[in-house]
Amino acid sequence: MVPSDTSTISPERRNGTAFGRFMLFRIAFRSFFLQASWNYRGMMNMGFLYALQPALDELYPAGPARKAAYERHLEYFNTNPYFSSLVMGVVLSLEERLARGEIDAEIIHDTKEGLMTACAAVGDGFFWDSWRPFVAAAALTLAFGNFLLTPILFLVVYNMPHLYFRFRGIFWGYQLGTDVIKLLKTFNIQRARLALRYATIALLCYLVPNHVNLHTPFLLSNLPLEYFYIGEKLVQGIGAALLVGLAAAGYRAKVDVLMISFLLMVMALVLYHWGILI
Amino acid sequence: MPNDHLTSSLLIGLIGGVVDLDSTATWQFMISQPIVAAPLTGLFLGALVGQEAAGLKLGLMIGTILQLLWIEQLPLGMNVPPDAALASVLSVALGFLAGRDFDTYVEREVCNTVALLVAVALGLLGRALDRGIRRLNTRMESWVTARIHASDATWALPVGHTVGGLYTFGKAFLFCFIVTWLGVEPLRAFTRSLSFGQNTGFIVIQGLLPSVGFAVLAGMCIKDRQELRWFIAGIALFTILPANIWAGWLAAALIVVRTYRTEHGSL
Repeated sequence: MVPSDTSTISPERRNGTAFGRFMLFRIAFRSFFLQASWNYRGMMNMGFLYALQPALDELYPAGPARKAAYERHLEYFNTNPYFSSLVMGVVLSLEERLARGEIDAEIIHDTKEGLMTACAAVGDGFFWDSWRPFVAAAALTLAFGNFLLTPILFLVVYNMPHLYFRFRGIFWGYQLGTDVIKLLKTFNIQRARLALRYATIALLCYLVPNHVNLHTPFLLSNLPLEYFYIGEKLVQGIGAALLVGLAAAGYRAKVDVLMISFLLMVMALVLYHWGILI
Repeated sequence: MPNDHLTSSLLIGLIGGVVDLDSTATWQFMISQPIVAAPLTGLFLGALVGQEAAGLKLGLMIGTILQLLWIEQLPLGMNVPPDAALASVLSVALGFLAGRDFDTYVEREVCNTVALLVAVALGLLGRALDRGIRRLNTRMESWVTARIHASDATWALPVGHTVGGLYTFGKAFLFCFIVTWLGVEPLRAFTRSLSFGQNTGFIVIQGLLPSVGFAVLAGMCIKDRQELRWFIAGIALFTILPANIWAGWLAAALIVVRTYRTEHGSL
């Protein structure tokens, strides 16, 4: 698969000139559409090729070399979308080397496969498992207080690391090539994930006793007015903790969340009917 | 009125299409998260009838509950979760459009709660439609691959990829339009048919529903017994303390800094 001579490369690429910032930004921008044609056979393959298409078209003139490049990238591809531009940067630098005849096409295949798995593990672990739940929990504390700018704050805070990785990733990948793995290790992603997980628990500690609305008529009839406020808070806190504990036990036992919600609704209606909750 | 309703349904179709594109197909800015999608829908619908604040507040209330219910759901690899984006848009649309004709607070709240429950079921239907779109995309991928193999037809790629995005938009647009167009009147009639006692029961449900989301978040975050003990102690502390959002944020910030700085990343 190594081109025998450099005649398959566009004349402007033959001397190995690097792609400019505009092209890299263009690829990063196109990576936003990575999953538009997500499919069961190649998953994100069409999106990946679509993002790289302008660079490949510039690298290879129309003909067998371009067709081979397209076919190379129509193979299976799946990774974390926010880290996809990083993989694209690495692949682009390797494509340049392939076009100059320095490496074999197999190297691109193997590197891409290894990198997409690593990026999926790091990206999914950080963004889906830690960052999104944390930002959502923080936003919920505001939303429960009827703070109307909550959606905007959520979007701004959530997208700061997203856009940073999306646009820096393409440059890191392109400039560092396969050394980008060393860079990923310096981020201390595991420690960041742990910190975010603990912070989410702290926010939950605030949310649970304050935002599950549980009111019973017994306090009104049995408690003197001066103790009513503390009584209400205690019932709310303890009742909410018990409810959350029950629901969490169901969740851990792999009961579907919608089934848990349904059971809770039935329980709420029964307790309301008996006059225990108002 | 029919023209109003048509305009509202078209608007909801458009919002649904754009929001659903964000959930997997494009951008992934998280506009599709219920806490954003629902208030956005409320704001646009409210603007249509000059009640922006009311629409936004309703969106925020519904978005908060749906965000909690589906906080763990993500489209990872082959997994297709319930369509939380469409559920958010539709629950606000149905709740707002059907509820604005009621005079009492209780009736409006019940209408919103019923809309929320209906939208959860619609979210499950949305999941089935998403799977259908993925199957259509798989056919499209075969077509693009065949074109490129056979004739170096590089134009097939952008065409196929764009059509994939259009499938997603079209599905969401039509789904939201049809449900809004047909669903408002039946919801209004159902709410009218409920007695006062049943109505207030629905409000009790609304108050308890967040506990499911909190449980899911706790299930995701708490990994061992020690963390569970910290969690229970934290709840006890915040039960006694006055309800102050800043205390929660301060605790979270301190924990982030301390954990990140500690060498082994433990408390």
